[in-house]
Amino acid sequence: MKVKVKQWNGVASWLWVANDENCGICRMSFNGCCPDCKVPGDDCPLVWGQCSHCFHMHCILKWLNSQQVQQQCPMCRQEWKFKE
Amino acid sequence: MSTNSLVLCRGSPEAWATVSAALVKQCNSHPIGDGFIHLPPPSVRQCVSEELAVLCTSGLGRHLESWLLNRLQTSLATAVAPEFLAGLEQPENELEERDRARVLLDAFHTLLEKLEPFIGGLETLGRWQEEGRGGLSGPGAEALRDRAFTIIRARLLFSPPAALRRRVLEFYSRTFSVHMSREGRGREGGSAEDGGPEDGGGACPGCVGPAGHCWCQEALLQLQELSDILRRLQLLEQVSSEAVTSIMHKLLEQRMEQHCRGEYERSFLVDFDEWLELVFGWLDRVFASTEEEGAAGSPQGWTPQGWTPTLGPGAAVRGSGSMLEQWRRHMHQFFCRVYVNMRIEELFSIIRDFPESKPAIEDLKFCLERTNQKQQLLTSLKSAFESRLLHPGVHTSDILTVYISAIKALRDLDPSMVILQVACQPIRKYLRTREDTVRQIVAGLTGDTDGCIDLANELSRADPVTLEMQDSEDEGGALEDWLPDPTDAVKDKTGSKRRSSDIISLLVSIYGSKEIFIDEYRTVLAHRLLHQLNYNTAREIRNVELLKLRFGESHMHYCEVMLKDVADSRRINANIREEESKAGAGPGEEPPTPPPTPLALSAMIFSSEFWPQLKEEKLELPPAVSQAMEAYTHRYEKLKAMRTLSWKPHLGSVTMDVELEDRVLTDLTVSPIHAAIILHFQDKSSWSLEELSAKLGVSKETVHRKLALWQQQGVLREEAGGQYSVLETGSSRERLERSVLLMDSDEEGDSNTTTQLEQREEKLQLFWAYIQAMLTNLESMTLDRIHSMLRMFVATGPVVTEMDVNELEAFLQRKVREHQLMVSAGVYRLPKAN
Repeated sequence: MKVKVKQWNGVASWLWVANDENCGICRMSFNGCCPDCKVPGDDCPLVWGQCSHCFHMHCILKWLNSQQVQQQCPMCRQEWKFKE
Repeated sequence: MSTNSLVLCRGSPEAWATVSAALVKQCNSHPIGDGFIHLPPPSVRQCVSEELAVLCTSGLGRHLESWLLNRLQTSLATAVAPEFLAGLEQPENELEERDRARVLLDAFHTLLEKLEPFIGGLETLGRWQEEGRGGLSGPGAEALRDRAFTIIRARLLFSPPAALRRRVLEFYSRTFSVHMSREGRGREGGSAEDGGPEDGGGACPGCVGPAGHCWCQEALLQLQELSDILRRLQLLEQVSSEAVTSIMHKLLEQRMEQHCRGEYERSFLVDFDEWLELVFGWLDRVFASTEEEGAAGSPQGWTPQGWTPTLGPGAAVRGSGSMLEQWRRHMHQFFCRVYVNMRIEELFSIIRDFPESKPAIEDLKFCLERTNQKQQLLTSLKSAFESRLLHPGVHTSDILTVYISAIKALRDLDPSMVILQVACQPIRKYLRTREDTVRQIVAGLTGDTDGCIDLANELSRADPVTLEMQDSEDEGGALEDWLPDPTDAVKDKTGSKRRSSDIISLLVSIYGSKEIFIDEYRTVLAHRLLHQLNYNTAREIRNVELLKLRFGESHMHYCEVMLKDVADSRRINANIREEESKAGAGPGEEPPTPPPTPLALSAMIFSSEFWPQLKEEKLELPPAVSQAMEAYTHRYEKLKAMRTLSWKPHLGSVTMDVELEDRVLTDLTVSPIHAAIILHFQDKSSWSLEELSAKLGVSKETVHRKLALWQQQGVLREEAGGQYSVLETGSSRERLERSVLLMDSDEEGDSNTTTQLEQREEKLQLFWAYIQAMLTNLESMTLDRIHSMLRMFVATGPVVTEMDVNELEAFLQRKVREHQLMVSAGVYRLPKAN
């Protein structure tokens, strides 16, 4: 007997490779999106800081913009620098 | 003065004789039926008035009146009434109908003859009284006449003999049918009246007499005559009303029964209006022939309504006219009532047939506005629903179909929607108890089932009503059209303006919230998208857009993301394919372990947060497949930084050819687990259930179930000892015919998504933490208390509003059974042991 698979339609879910489930700022799931967004994934990406904490990009930007003096990671209070 | 006293002494007996004779005899002499009261010649008149003066002066004048009435009464009692009755009682059995009619007429003739003198006398006396002749005073002609007729009526008709009633009824029925047949023919022939001599070939349709012996004309004349006599005696209404009423009622009901019952696709109002006009023509003959008389006759003619000299003849016309008018109203009213009664009985069938039965609904609406039978309609319709629709034998989709028809029909019937609201209450209540209601409605909305195409149409209707109604804007333009609620409206919190007639909003509101529907729709959508082989979502996009119009953007947001995932998946697939082909061409990179035949793998990649929860199942795929998936994941990770894929091995579909020694099964579409099984048989032609189960990481039961498909296809065979092996040569050719098979045919309805029930269960589970916390703090609580606390504190999502007390109670009861909770006297507490 020979089985020839012509087409295999698989199903998968995508997820962020992050060390946490939820965004520390908005408390929403990383795999979802920040409160201001409608669509997850490309439209609401995650960013990592050098402190290795990560957030929804929109969340951390909002946070950084609201900081007057020094821009710190909201989790560890180190200076926030985007990880390249 | 002195002469007067002399006359008084000498002449009073003579004077009495003269006057009384003049009163009674005078009328004897005049011919019957001409309507005039002949005055005696002047000489006699002169003499009578002198004698009258004599009587008055002796104080006897006032006794004239009572004497005359007394004589009338005595003669009625002793002679006239018995004779009249005897005349009627003539041997009727031997007589023909025609002769019976004559007998009836004769009896009345005699009656009139006998009574005429008295009536004439009273007339004269009344006139004298009015003129005040000879100093006579009294109530006047009209009052006297009234008194006399009261006496006659009382004597004759206090308890009308059965014979009279029977004869009158027969007579009127006959003349009625004569009239109807004539008028009907006249109408058809174009000339309305007096169609001339009609003698067709057969029996006359009017009098049913043999040909050539038609007595229609005679019957009509008799009718005319009888009406005249009765009117003279002021007996017309008393004698004929009953007969006329019963004839007309009977015929109307008959006609209705024959023409309208079961016939909903035609309007009958005009029909019956025409028919009633014919009937009124007959009534006219019965009651209103006075019109000619009143108009042409002398002022002294008297009419049943009482003639008043000051108003002149016009009054008489008006009098009989108003009587006819009364009859007309009565018949219209009666028609409406009979019609409504019949349609109420049939309303369920009318609703079931709805768009076709629209004329019936419109007729009913017209009639219902004129009778006060809404309540009756509601009661009857409700019980019809309950006995014919709301029982376990009816499929949910059928109930929904009828409900939708009912909405359409009843909103036509009653624009205030009160009937709709009240009558359909039982349906809504019942639907709430059916588990598949939501599923059916959603299926209908998306056009999945054949039964409820209506719903899909309704959804795509232009100008949809959004389910979130804005109170303020609604009222803006319609202030002038505002009508108060009918008194029988159900007072509810939503108020009248919310009484919606929109089918979808009504259906959705069965459960009181749209979240359930949206969740269900999401489940259906997920199911569909996962089973689609291509990425074609045009129909789903349309549905989602339409639903968005109704449910609002925010509620359909998840569904939009789902659709976007499909589109994204297609792009990613194309992208990865391209990469693959490039990689294959490029010399540098090589797939880690190139499979013997490169597996064409495409993926549906979804955003887990936005899809309904999918069932988690374990399945170990054959290495070739899982390697392909790994490779795919690698490429995906390259494409989308910091993201990876988590495969759901049991989901999806596989298209494959199976080549056996003597046959090929082409283009089989199966689920991954089926594919995995058959792929394993490619390496080794015989497996035991245990081995397969271990290899696939799936329970033996499941494997066994899935193997059935291949057995069915004649590819595998179960052998002794639980071994399965490949059937290389087909035992029978016919198996080949069935090359196309349904995926998952062995487990119908086993959806990949978790069911509604399971999801609710999970939501309730969410509450458990709250309940535990509450009970820890407050020790013990009643059911209601728990419910209201949950409502207060957990009011974050839509979940609470959907949960009613009963559901919570069921949940708590289960916890009690599981020994996680204790209940005594309706108070819940946590078990002490913990």
